[in-house]
Parts: sequence; C-alpha cells; structure tokens
Amino acid sequence: MVEVSVSTFKKKTFNALYSSFAIFSCLALGKLCSYFAPILPASLYGLIIFTVTLHFRLFNAEHIKSTVVWCIKHMGVCFVPAGVGIINHFDLIKQFGIAIVAITFVTTFVLLTLVGLHYQRYAIDEEPN
Amino acid sequence: MVITDLLYNHILSSFFVVAGTIALFQLIAMLQSKLNAIWLQPMLITILVIMAILLWQDISFDSYFTNSWLLNALLEPAVVALGFPLYQHLETIKKQWKSIILVLFIGALIAIISSFVITMLLIGDYTIAVALSLKSVTTPIAIAIAGQLDGNTAITAFAIILAGFFGALVGPPWLRFIKVTSPKAQGLAIGAASHAIGTATVSNISYEHAAYSSLALIVSAVITALISPFIISFLASLL
Repeated sequence: MVEVSVSTFKKKTFNALYSSFAIFSCLALGKLCSYFAPILPASLYGLIIFTVTLHFRLFNAEHIKSTVVWCIKHMGVCFVPAGVGIINHFDLIKQFGIAIVAITFVTTFVLLTLVGLHYQRYAIDEEPN
Repeated sequence: MVITDLLYNHILSSFFVVAGTIALFQLIAMLQSKLNAIWLQPMLITILVIMAILLWQDISFDSYFTNSWLLNALLEPAVVALGFPLYQHLETIKKQWKSIILVLFIGALIAIISSFVITMLLIGDYTIAVALSLKSVTTPIAIAIAGQLDGNTAITAFAIILAGFFGALVGPPWLRFIKVTSPKAQGLAIGAASHAIGTATVSNISYEHAAYSSLALIVSAVITALISPFIISFLASLL
C-alpha cells in the first residue's frame, strides 16, 4: 500500500515537472517569436507552439494531461490581482458604470445570437439525418 | 542588516498576500460546489472581498499588486496551458474548420466593431472602448492585447467577468428560446461570447458542449488577437 502511494507520488511529481518544462520551454520560444515578430503576445505564440509540439508528439500528452487539467481548473486565481485593479478606477465606474454594463450586456447577446444561429444552420446542413 | 530585513519583510508579505488570495479563492470554490450556486463565482467574489479588505484597511492597490506578483507572473504559462484542450480538439477542427472559423471570425469582427463604436459614441474614451471590445476573450489573452493597444486593463478584467456571467446565466435559456438546440451551436456561441466562465458552466450539460465551448474560447481568442490591432487602429482613426 505504501509502495503504491510512493510510486504514484513519484509519477505525479515527474508529470508536474515534465509539464512545467513543456509549458515553460514553449513560453520561452513564444517570447523569442514575439521579440522578432511583435504581432501576438508571447503567451499566445506559446499556446500555438504548445499545441503544435503536442500534435507532432514532441511532448507526451499522457504525462501532461493531469497537470494541465489541474492548472486550467485553478487558473482563475491568477486573474484576481488584475481584477482588483478596478479599485484604482472607481471614478470611471461611477461615471460610466451603467453604460459599461449596458454595452457589455447588449453586445454579448448579439454575439451569442449570431454565432448560435449561424452554426445551428451549418450543424443542420452537415447532419441532414 | 537593513537590506536583509527589507528583503525578509518583502518575501514574508508577498507570501502572506499570495497565500491569502489562494486560500480565499479555494474557500469560495469549495462553497460554490457545495451549495451548487453559479453566482458564487470564485474569481468574482475573491476580487470583491479583497477590494473590500483594501478599502477597509486603507491599503493601496499598488502595494497589493506588488506583493501578488507571483500570481500575475503565472498568467503567461496559464495561457500556454490552454494549448492542451486545443490539441485535443484538433481532429474536430480539421473536419469542420471552414465553418467554425468563418462563424467565429464573423462573430469576433462584429463583437469588436460594435463594442468599440458604441463605446466611443456613448463614452468617448479610447481606453474604455478598447477594454470593452476585448471583453468576449479569455482574461489572460485580453489583458495582453489590452496592454499592447493602450487599453484600460482593469476595466478589461471587469467587463470580461460581466460578459462571462451574462452568457453563462442567460445564454442557455436564451439560445433554447431562439431555437438554437444543437449542442455544437450552443457550445460555440457560449464559448465565443462568455469564454472560460461560460465554458465552465455549459461543460456540465454535455461533453459536446464542453468540447465546442472550449474550442470557441481558444479560436476566438486567437482570431481577436490577430485582427483587433488592425481594426481598432482603423476605427480609432475614423472616430
């Protein structure tokens, strides 16, 4: 029983280190890309490089899956400091808060409706049965 | 001696701020799953509680932000990690890439143009207009683009959370009401309009919803990152 838990611990540690190495090396390449071609942010280049390396099996997806699923589940906490930044803009919110909420509400509905209706038509065309 | 003291205090307060933020977030996430309440969104509630604490204790945002640098530094690797679900959906994209990319391209185009133009006409502030035109994109990518285009990143973060909630709460009943019943179409629409918050919510409905919503979340973000600098600078020169 103890041996099993030690080996799963080792496996988890290996997977976490392997995933971190994969993610950070893709990010480093992304930084290089955005330095030479500043069209996209480095992290987005990194995202694309990560997808490509997984697709061509340069990294083993089996070792990465559990760590990445965990990261995506908990990544919300990283956005907290940026969100708290709203505190420096209370004057803007006081002045334009209602307009900001109204614009967000209306344009989100337009987008939902547009994408939903359009793709529904494609989905029906592709699957006539 | 003074330098080591300073360094020590700084590390200690950074540790306290980061650990405190994570603990609060986890506590609210646990409460949310226990009470099964969508509105108890951990990100939103943590932001509100920390804002209240800063105001109450008269702590400046800058000192909070400096001490929470570790969380902010993790945003970039978090975006890279989103490449994994994209890799998982590559087969689906290969089969239907034309229709998916066309729909999401038109969606992103209209989202950016309508938000930017309406905001410029109603509010007339470029930094807010940039922030609102990026609100349908997942936070780390939107913040990166907003920074690049001199938009207001705090308003961006705020509008993204708002858009996420509208779509997650009202999206599924609204789509059913307008007779969009295909799980693929529902997933794509909610992923495109309400990013990660919407995706997390519709993932409970079915596997197809989850796959198409995260696909839309990633593809829309890439399309927006590619086209928004050109559209926004073009529109800004017109208005």
